Amino acid sequence: MARRLRLPALAAALAACVASVAGCASGTPPATTALTPTFTYSYPLDVITDWDPATSYSNELVALQNVYESLTRYDPGTGTVKPQLATSWSSTAGGLTWTFHLREGVRFHDGNPVTAQAAKAAIARTIAAQGGAAYIWGAVSSIDTPDPHTLVFHLSYAAPMDVIASSDYGAYVYDTAPPGVKPGALKSWLEAAHDTGTGPYTVADWNQGQEAEVTLDAFPGYWGGWSGRHYRQVVFDHTPDVTTAWQTLETGDVDFRSQLNPELFKEATHFRALGTQATASLQNLIAFFNTAAGPLTDVRLRQAVQNAVDYDGLLAALHGSVGPAQGLIPSGLPGNDPALTRHQNLPLARKLLAEAGYGPGGRHLNLSLTYAQGDDAQQLFVTLLSSDLQALNITVDARPMQWNAQWAQAKATDPAHRQDILLMYWYADYASAYSWFVNLFHSAQPVSFNLSYLDDPVVDKEIDAIPQLTATDPAAERANYALLQRQLLEQDAAAAPLFVNTYQRVYASGITGYRDNPAYPDVVFVHDLEPSP
Amino acid sequence: MTDVSPTLAPPAPAPDRSAPPTPAARGGQARRLLALARRDLPATVGAVVLLAIVLAAVLAPWLAPYPGDGSHATHPLDTLAGPGGRHWFGTDAVGRDLLTRVMYGARTSLTVAAAVLTVSALVGVPLGVIAGYTGGVVKDVIMRITDVFLAFPALLLSVALATVLHPGTGSAIIAISVGWWPWYARMACVTATGIRSRGFVDAARCLGVSRIRIMARHVLPNALTPVLVQLSLDAGGVILTSAALSYLGLGPQEPTAEWGLMVQQGQDLFITDWWVVAFPGLAILLTAFCFNVLGEGLRSALDPHRELTR
Repeated sequence: MARRLRLPALAAALAACVASVAGCASGTPPATTALTPTFTYSYPLDVITDWDPATSYSNELVALQNVYESLTRYDPGTGTVKPQLATSWSSTAGGLTWTFHLREGVRFHDGNPVTAQAAKAAIARTIAAQGGAAYIWGAVSSIDTPDPHTLVFHLSYAAPMDVIASSDYGAYVYDTAPPGVKPGALKSWLEAAHDTGTGPYTVADWNQGQEAEVTLDAFPGYWGGWSGRHYRQVVFDHTPDVTTAWQTLETGDVDFRSQLNPELFKEATHFRALGTQATASLQNLIAFFNTAAGPLTDVRLRQAVQNAVDYDGLLAALHGSVGPAQGLIPSGLPGNDPALTRHQNLPLARKLLAEAGYGPGGRHLNLSLTYAQGDDAQQLFVTLLSSDLQALNITVDARPMQWNAQWAQAKATDPAHRQDILLMYWYADYASAYSWFVNLFHSAQPVSFNLSYLDDPVVDKEIDAIPQLTATDPAAERANYALLQRQLLEQDAAAAPLFVNTYQRVYASGITGYRDNPAYPDVVFVHDLEPSP
Repeated sequence: MTDVSPTLAPPAPAPDRSAPPTPAARGGQARRLLALARRDLPATVGAVVLLAIVLAAVLAPWLAPYPGDGSHATHPLDTLAGPGGRHWFGTDAVGRDLLTRVMYGARTSLTVAAAVLTVSALVGVPLGVIAGYTGGVVKDVIMRITDVFLAFPALLLSVALATVLHPGTGSAIIAISVGWWPWYARMACVTATGIRSRGFVDAARCLGVSRIRIMARHVLPNALTPVLVQLSLDAGGVILTSAALSYLGLGPQEPTAEWGLMVQQGQDLFITDWWVVAFPGLAILLTAFCFNVLGEGLRSALDPHRELTR
């Protein structure tokens, strides 16, 4: 009897399975999104890697840009910067002196007033920390504070300080002496999820490793005020799984998702309860080759892998969610060079491999690769690369990882424990291409983001020359970028730029005021949003 | 020595295997097989489906519509095509034919299952027989070792091992086998413990037959029936575990076709392009289920009490 029941039970199970599949395929309209004073942001990566505004240089940008502010903010609509903590600014002496007038009546979250002295102390601390994006202040030789609301930068070479001050990292103005915190203890105090910003929100809670990772509460004394409708709380959910993110959007449990996949983005455009926005970005995906240890120390193997990548196939398979990589610098920034667009060249890849003793008929090669878990575009690239390389007698051991784990492995003190290939997105710190070179290819110890581990004094010298050229000779700057890119991508073959992202944002349609700002990747300036009543 | 169990009865004369079976004998075997099949329809259906899956796996290079897609071919201009005339199961995110990938995936899954079960049986059964027959300290030592392995959930142990090994098919086989053999050791030990006190074993011992020969010729063959049943029941479990490892990125790597890996790669497309995950998922479900019903059927058919209870 029991046995007779088994087949119908199986049939029922299969029917339920097929029905659920079919149901998902046809889709059902999402429930009406109920907006609450809480704005929930679904983010695919760990949100926080560093709470210190002086050294922060990673994903936490999405939260910290709502907590801290800089002197200016870049406006993608006009291509210029607009006032933030500084209300006006001017330069004299051919750009060697910059004077910023600070907004009056602004207070830090700890209650202290924002003064020129406090801003100077914050910038001085950031420079001294020499971490993250401290390099942006490289032109600054001294800072004067003639009055409590005037900040004067004296530069050693001309530089666009108004644009530099809008940087997404390293330009935060924060209180270096919060009440009750001993001198020297600021960093550890900040790392315990405290903040000393001036932004509309302040850190309320941090649950490392949990889904609801960061909670920000409205700062009542915010200089921008709270009249009108605003979100009173912001929650950052760490949701690596795209399907889960979609479901939470559908049900209204989250209000914003930075990136789904092209198919779900297209699906979202059909839902009235969801708004979508696609914006060209200044963010590209780069494959970094380990030039310091492992098989890829042989430049011929790096060049072979570069030539084996199916760049055009990748673009086609990603259905319009990315654009072609034209060298290291995305379109829209000085130094972008369409002539550096790459195409697959398998015969050359085979030739290079044969010269190195590998490839079909030669020795077998194993390459380890790490990429971001939950990133569909990266996963798709890995599938294409693995398939193309298998035909060349190369096996790719690809591991999807959480960013913190991926980065930790990449920075392992023993080079033998590092990966052969690492995938990572990069974007400008401010409206300049310098960030790609100084951070990714300048030699650095300890390792930070120079994840091809390149150590080439000639390249370092060329990179160090960029800031001055930017201010004094734009034509020479572009020529230098062209030279550097050919050196890095062709001679050194230290990396392979794969594509430039198109940001595909999905959010609750009841939200008004959202405008993507590619200069601040993935950041939602929540105070600018207006929830539906 | 006073045991008068049926096993001490004089053995029936062995059939002359050199002579071909007579037509009547062949007809009798076929009738018996047919009767058995009628008596257990689910097991029969399971066996037929499994046979089809095995044939599809073995003949994939000749039967698959796009054999290149089973290895390294990609077609980025033909991605995520729905099921239809050209691609019965549709295509995946890099344009590979999913029917082809499912057929090639069967090769991987069945290979892993066969390898794991072979390794587990080859390691576990002899150890279990030695422990069960010898008893005493030897048994204690072997069984405590198996206890150590059994203390960890098999899947957890496999995941932990696969994490430290180089990801791939070989690693998956090793990782799963390490958690699987103790069950066979324990089962063989229990069976051997029961057999060691049987009269025919006592008789062999009295005749001066060596321990090794007794274990190999008398204990082991009698311990194999439950092992065979367990092997067929476990095949589905191994396939599920292998799929789980691949799903976690710890099994075979791209571009190897593996059902678990295919499900993992298709999960983000489940809502918009269901076929990418549905067909490999159904392949796992169907294969595991068929092994289970076949195992149940074998258990029932080989049960010595079966005729008595009917």
